[in-house]
Amino acid sequence: MSDTFFTASPHWTWFIIPYFFIGGLAGGAYFLAALVEWFGRPEDRPVVRTGYSVAFWGAIVSGLLLTLDLGRPLRFWHMLFQSERFPHLMFKSWSPISFGAWAILLFGACAALSMLGARAEEGRSQGALAKALSGGTVLGKLVAGVGGLFGFFVAGYTGVLLAVTNRPIWADSPWLGALFLVSGASTGAALLTLLGPGRGASERSLKWLASFDSRALVFELVILIAFMVSLGSVARVWLSVWGVLLLLGVVGVGILWPLRLHAKPAGAVNAALLVLVGGFLLRAVTILASSGIEFHRVAEGAMR
Amino acid sequence: MPEAMGFFTDTTVCIGCKACEVACKNWNELPSEDGGLRELSGDSYDNTRRLDGIHWRHVRFIEQFHGAYEGRWLMMSDVCKHCVQAPCLEVCPTGAIIRTEFDTVVIQSDVCNGCRDCIAACPFGVIDINHVSGTAQKCTLCYDRLQVGLEPACSKACPTDSIQFGTIAELRARGQKRVEQLKSQGVDAYLYGADPGGPLGGLNSFYLLVDKPGVYGLPESPRLPTRNLKPAGALSAASAAVLGLLALVGLRKQRMDDMAGTTSGGTA
Amino acid sequence: MGSNMAECHPVAFRWPMKAKLNGAKLIHVDPRFTRTSAVADLHVPIRAGSDIAFLGGLINHVINSERWNSDPFFREYVVNYTNAATIVSDDFKDTEDGDGAFSGLVQFTEPQFWPYNGFLGRYDNVSWQYQRGPKGAGPATKDLIARRAGPPFDDLVRSLKPGPAQKDPTLQHPRCVFQLLKRHFSRYTPEMVEQICGSPKDKFLKVAEALLESSGRDRTSAFAYAVAWTQHTYGVQMISCCALLQLLLGNFGRPGGGIMALRGHAAIQGSTDVPTLYHSIHGYMNAPSALRPHDSLRDYLAAETTPTGYWGNFPKFMVSYLKSVYGDAATAENDFGYDWHPKILGDHSHMAMFSAMNDGKIKGTVVVGQNPATSLNGTATRRALRQLDWLVVKDNWLTESATYWYQAPEVKSGEVKVADIKTEVFFFPSTQIAEYDGSYTNTQRMLQWHSYAAKAPGDCRTDSWFYHNLAKRLKKAYADSTQPRDQGWKNVTWDFDPDAGEEPLYPGEISARKVLREINGYVTGNPAQHLPGFAALKDDGSTTCASWIYCGCYPAWDQNLTARREPDPPGVPGAHLKWGWAWPANRRVMYNRASADLQGNPWSERKRWIWWDPNFVNPPDPKTGAATPRGKWVGYDVPDFGANKAPDAKPKPDGIGLDALSGTDAFIMKGDGRGWIFVPAGLVDGPFPTHYEPHESPIENLLYKQQMSPVHKVWAAGKEWNPLAAFGDPKFPYIITTYRLVEHYLAGAMSRWLPWLAELQPELFIEIGTGLAQEKGIKNLDWVVVSSPRGQIRAKALVTDRIGVMNVAGKRIHHVGMPWHWGWAGLSTGAVVNDLTAWVGDPNVSIHEGKAFVCNVERA
Ligand SMILES: Nc1nc2c(c(=O)[nH]1)N[C@H]1C(S)=C(S)[C@@H](COP(=O)(O)OP(=O)(O)OC[C@H]3O[C@@H](n4cnc5c(=O)[nH]c(N)nc54)[C@H](O)[C@@H]3O)O[C@H]1N2
Ligand SMILES: Nc1nc2c(c(=O)[nH]1)N[C@H]1C(S)=C(S)[C@@H](COP(=O)(O)OP(=O)(O)OC[C@H]3O[C@@H](n4cnc5c(=O)[nH]c(N)nc54)[C@H](O)[C@@H]3O)O[C@H]1N2
Ligand code: SF4
Ligand code: SF4
Ligand code: SF4
Ligand code: SF4
Ligand code: SF4
Ligand SMILES: [Mo]
Repeated sequence: MSDTFFTASPHWTWFIIPYFFIGGLAGGAYFLAALVEWFGRPEDRPVVRTGYSVAFWGAIVSGLLLTLDLGRPLRFWHMLFQSERFPHLMFKSWSPISFGAWAILLFGACAALSMLGARAEEGRSQGALAKALSGGTVLGKLVAGVGGLFGFFVAGYTGVLLAVTNRPIWADSPWLGALFLVSGASTGAALLTLLGPGRGASERSLKWLASFDSRALVFELVILIAFMVSLGSVARVWLSVWGVLLLLGVVGVGILWPLRLHAKPAGAVNAALLVLVGGFLLRAVTILASSGIEFHRVAEGAMR
Repeated sequence: MPEAMGFFTDTTVCIGCKACEVACKNWNELPSEDGGLRELSGDSYDNTRRLDGIHWRHVRFIEQFHGAYEGRWLMMSDVCKHCVQAPCLEVCPTGAIIRTEFDTVVIQSDVCNGCRDCIAACPFGVIDINHVSGTAQKCTLCYDRLQVGLEPACSKACPTDSIQFGTIAELRARGQKRVEQLKSQGVDAYLYGADPGGPLGGLNSFYLLVDKPGVYGLPESPRLPTRNLKPAGALSAASAAVLGLLALVGLRKQRMDDMAGTTSGGTA
Repeated sequence: MGSNMAECHPVAFRWPMKAKLNGAKLIHVDPRFTRTSAVADLHVPIRAGSDIAFLGGLINHVINSERWNSDPFFREYVVNYTNAATIVSDDFKDTEDGDGAFSGLVQFTEPQFWPYNGFLGRYDNVSWQYQRGPKGAGPATKDLIARRAGPPFDDLVRSLKPGPAQKDPTLQHPRCVFQLLKRHFSRYTPEMVEQICGSPKDKFLKVAEALLESSGRDRTSAFAYAVAWTQHTYGVQMISCCALLQLLLGNFGRPGGGIMALRGHAAIQGSTDVPTLYHSIHGYMNAPSALRPHDSLRDYLAAETTPTGYWGNFPKFMVSYLKSVYGDAATAENDFGYDWHPKILGDHSHMAMFSAMNDGKIKGTVVVGQNPATSLNGTATRRALRQLDWLVVKDNWLTESATYWYQAPEVKSGEVKVADIKTEVFFFPSTQIAEYDGSYTNTQRMLQWHSYAAKAPGDCRTDSWFYHNLAKRLKKAYADSTQPRDQGWKNVTWDFDPDAGEEPLYPGEISARKVLREINGYVTGNPAQHLPGFAALKDDGSTTCASWIYCGCYPAWDQNLTARREPDPPGVPGAHLKWGWAWPANRRVMYNRASADLQGNPWSERKRWIWWDPNFVNPPDPKTGAATPRGKWVGYDVPDFGANKAPDAKPKPDGIGLDALSGTDAFIMKGDGRGWIFVPAGLVDGPFPTHYEPHESPIENLLYKQQMSPVHKVWAAGKEWNPLAAFGDPKFPYIITTYRLVEHYLAGAMSRWLPWLAELQPELFIEIGTGLAQEKGIKNLDWVVVSSPRGQIRAKALVTDRIGVMNVAGKRIHHVGMPWHWGWAGLSTGAVVNDLTAWVGDPNVSIHEGKAFVCNVERA
């Protein structure tokens, strides 16, 4: 029995699961947007702007979910400032939940700025700052660069956060961060694929997204396997309803099927939808399977 | 700064009377689950089952029998281990969890915001949310009593001195003596968590056990959560890089195709 | 053995655990593997109700063992400190000859005026007496009574002195106690023990050897028992069997020896010292009875006084008691009001009274500090309560006894209609112990004064307030009655109001101190002059003392010794003489003269307790000023012996009381100064303990034709509310016992209402072995129906190997057990286990047989 089996569940469920999903997706989207901001072509701008707004709204919703999940939501700021010694900052470089809080905050800030720039670009806001940030300016590129990195950070840290505990599955492997990060990218791409056209994304941008998505999915599958292998004996925990969901939902619906669709022409939209479903399920099963141990513990008790 | 204080729990003299459990609730004014209206657990005489936000002490009952009347009945009063290197304290993002002048680990309820990361971090499943306060709670080693020179309520109530309170140095010596006594009687007893060189730098609430830790619901070798920080971080960064490449490769390929496209156009 | 000390006396259990850490061996003999067994060095399973066979087996093993016969200690102790050498009358016939019955068994017929004694049969114990020499000369008792001789009553007492008992110190005489004992227990072999008790032979022998090893000059062993040894139709005999064993092992009057009676309710020891018992008055004096020759004070004294030994002072205790009851009205002329004192008609114990109640013989009842609706044969008890005109319940909670008339199972089921219950129920909210001053008397006979910790909420009143004001009203009511039967009430002194300057705790509250002063006693006419101890008591009315055994706990107006809290420093033997006060005379170990050998030297260094110092210089005689001879008993404890009585002192020829005993007669409360191995008087069911089966048992008595005790008690026999299973009734194949859990307290009002305790044991359960569970297809936590001839109840199954199948009399018998704390009131509720128990009990003390009966278990 792994040492992680003697721990208690933090009851992270219906706020945290969507938070991990949306955070990842927002992060992934921002990263891709930033990438294109730097290396893309003019015709990719719509995708970039879509990425920015996804990131912005994603950051807001994430922050909200995270706060609502707290036992004492009004004390959210205790994660940022020392409650007894305000305004001293509260920051632990070794505690993902601590630096994660900061990451979302800064991620949100960048997303907001980039979003502002995007609006200027579309001529929807006029402010000086907006102008300074709009399409392709140095400042815009800078903000996007920093924000993009934060994006991936937010997408990945959630997995690292789970790893830096003593819970079964989570703490039994170092791969969760990578897994969530990649899934963040694939889901991000998927969402851009879906929202892009609405903002007039070009055929080619979409093709690029699709091709990226399928590559990311393959990579995700590789990491998922690595993750499973790294679990070793603990893997047996997956012998549960969550394991089935992982296989059918995440791998089947979320990875393999989309890959098949990507292979066909014009399958991209359906593929994207499935990827989103898969990405959500991935977060759900990893979190719920771990709490499954509770029952395991109790049953063991009753048997004694 | 006073000496490190803690508990030595000699499970071989525990009679499972639960006085410690009740004394703790009494002193700390903790409620009962469902106001006391529970169902029989069927797990021997253990009906509170685990440590959580309103059970800061918990007595385990382990029946080890092979046939009627043949066997033994182990009992153990469990509590926060007040780890010298405390995982809960390590991860807490609000600084709510502190180490006191008695080298004990305490959650400040007025600072905690209920993020529950400490619950996941504790290798012993000690902490949980107290739904009355909405914050994470656990044994404080009676910090309030220690500050005024009182013994913790639970050890004070323990009729058989299964729970002994004192300075860690003294308790370790006592524990060793007891282990030797039992060994001389042919019982293979050992101390769990008394070794400062051991896991988590030693536990300031350590135990005398006569069976494997797992039997008592204790991990063989509890570890700090941050052990996973570097590898997990590195792998994430690496995969981020890979993704970056994949994306760029995509863009680049499109560029290539463009060029190929224009030249062919030119020959037309 | 006979208790589950860790769960029922957890705080006291601290000391056995300390002893264990110091190398003592802890043994637990119990039908279940309990939390006590868990920390014991050895657990021996035993079938409920078979302890006499087990103890008898130990006795047989001990007296035939090599060690016991070779170590001179045992012989010296047994020959000189017990009645082993005494020769018993030729008329005595043992169970060996009577197939399980002793000589003197006669029919018992219930008297018409009180047909609730329940005896099956009765022993006439004339044949159980010692072989005695001729009685000394002097006036005959009946003449002295006729002449109304005394006070002083010395002549009366002297006239009671029997001739000297004959002895054979070689223990060879065929009719000496030791030889009779040897024969009586000869059939209690280890094999027989295994057959009767289901205790594996090897484990039994381990116990026997452990006892022998740790008894002798430098070692003592002790037994601790509680109601596992009382709740039987021969409970008292179980305890006397253990006492007998301890006498043989030389374990009385010595530190670390003896038998510890673990008492129940807090201060229940006090409730028998200053009794709430029907059959005794203060200090274990028998209550005057209509069935005994108690017509006049002198008849009573003649019938109740043992002329030799300390009880020879009985008249002093009785007269001082009467003075306390009737004060100035009690004079030598009116025999100190003896004729006003109520007399009992027979058995007025719990089950007897409730049987009478069931027959409509009782109009009203006051229930204080008790919850009868759940604590004994519930169905019958609640039926009895329904026959009352009025019922007063004074409690801290609305207990089952206060709510039976609208919430009991039979009412819920519609079997009984609320409308048909004529009883008017009054409820008085009560204070808790922490809300008033008073004293506890604990298991070690120790009085400890306590002050209130908090004032009671709302309109709660103390029990003393209740009785105090009730008494005052009654006195008023009888004030000008001329009826002879009311003279008692008219003359009772009732003066417990606080003295001027003493603030009552509550309006109308008594002064608790004043009550203790009255119990301690004072010089008649001068309440401020307390008595220093019971040696000062007189039989002429010049002393007033409610309870002679407590005399000395409050030796001076300003000296409440029960309030002392001064422990001995660590390292010393620790009699803790300055912690509280223990009766008698603050002695901590009774009969401690036996801790020294014949010459008065400690048996050994390790076991030194009190000893004779021949060179001790005694102060001159206070009255005459004449020099007194040297020598005194000294040591760690208060000697339980004449302080200056030399070990070689001879009995005075015509002496009474202690003067009739020698310097080696350590057991000073006994007429012959000896520990009784053979009990010629005092027990109604035989001079030797004998194995019988419980009233309800699936096993036949392997030792005698006599299946169950021939003289035990059955109340409401043949009544439909007390049906009993015949021997081996196939409908009830299993043995069941009932007991406590550390988490709950008795009928549960003091625990099931408290969330902190309720959550620890939230539901009623039955503990059944894995074997029976398999046979019946019962899984852990399944609901099961448990039935006895009295009724059936539901409970959850707790399947465990801590209880289970036993091999008894060549059969596989399943043993089950239930905690009995539940009822329908409170937070944690459950069925009433006592709806299964029967009204059968012990003939000496009328306690029910709640520990061993039969039942059936089926899946619900
Ligand atoms: N926590 C708690 N403590 C209590 C009480 C309580 O209700 N709760 N009640 C108090 C009172 S009033 C009393 S009288 C005492 C009673 O104290 P105990 O007598 O110790 O209590 P019980 O649990 O009734 O019985 C003790 C044991 O007797 C065993 N037993 C049953 N039948 C037999 C038998 O025939 N032979 C032998 N050798 N063992 C047998 C049972 O398995 C049980 O383990 O406890 C007092 N202390
Ligand atoms: N089957 C089975 N039956 C048993 C036993 C068993 O072992 N098995 N044990 C027997 C024994 S040993 C005993 S002692 C009896 C006990 O049986 P009971 O004495 O009938 O039950 P308790 O719950 O002790 O009742 C005491 C009541 O007094 C109340 N009380 C507490 N303090 C005070 C106070 O200061 N004043 C007043 N007025 N009330 C107060 C409590 O709330 C409680 O309701 O049960 C007996 N019944
Ligand atoms: S045992 Fe758990 S809660 Fe206690 S200090 Fe260690 S990690 Fe923290
Ligand atoms: S729940 Fe409270 S104590 Fe625990 S980690 Fe979060 S803030 Fe710290
Ligand atoms: S030390 Fe205090 S808080 Fe901790 S378990 Fe004991 S009583 Fe409870
Ligand atoms: S109080 Fe002591 S003996 Fe009782 S359960 Fe707790 S640790 Fe064990
Ligand atoms: S309940 Fe009271 S009497 Fe019983 S063991 Fe505890 S302290 Fe002693
Ligand atoms: Mo009792």
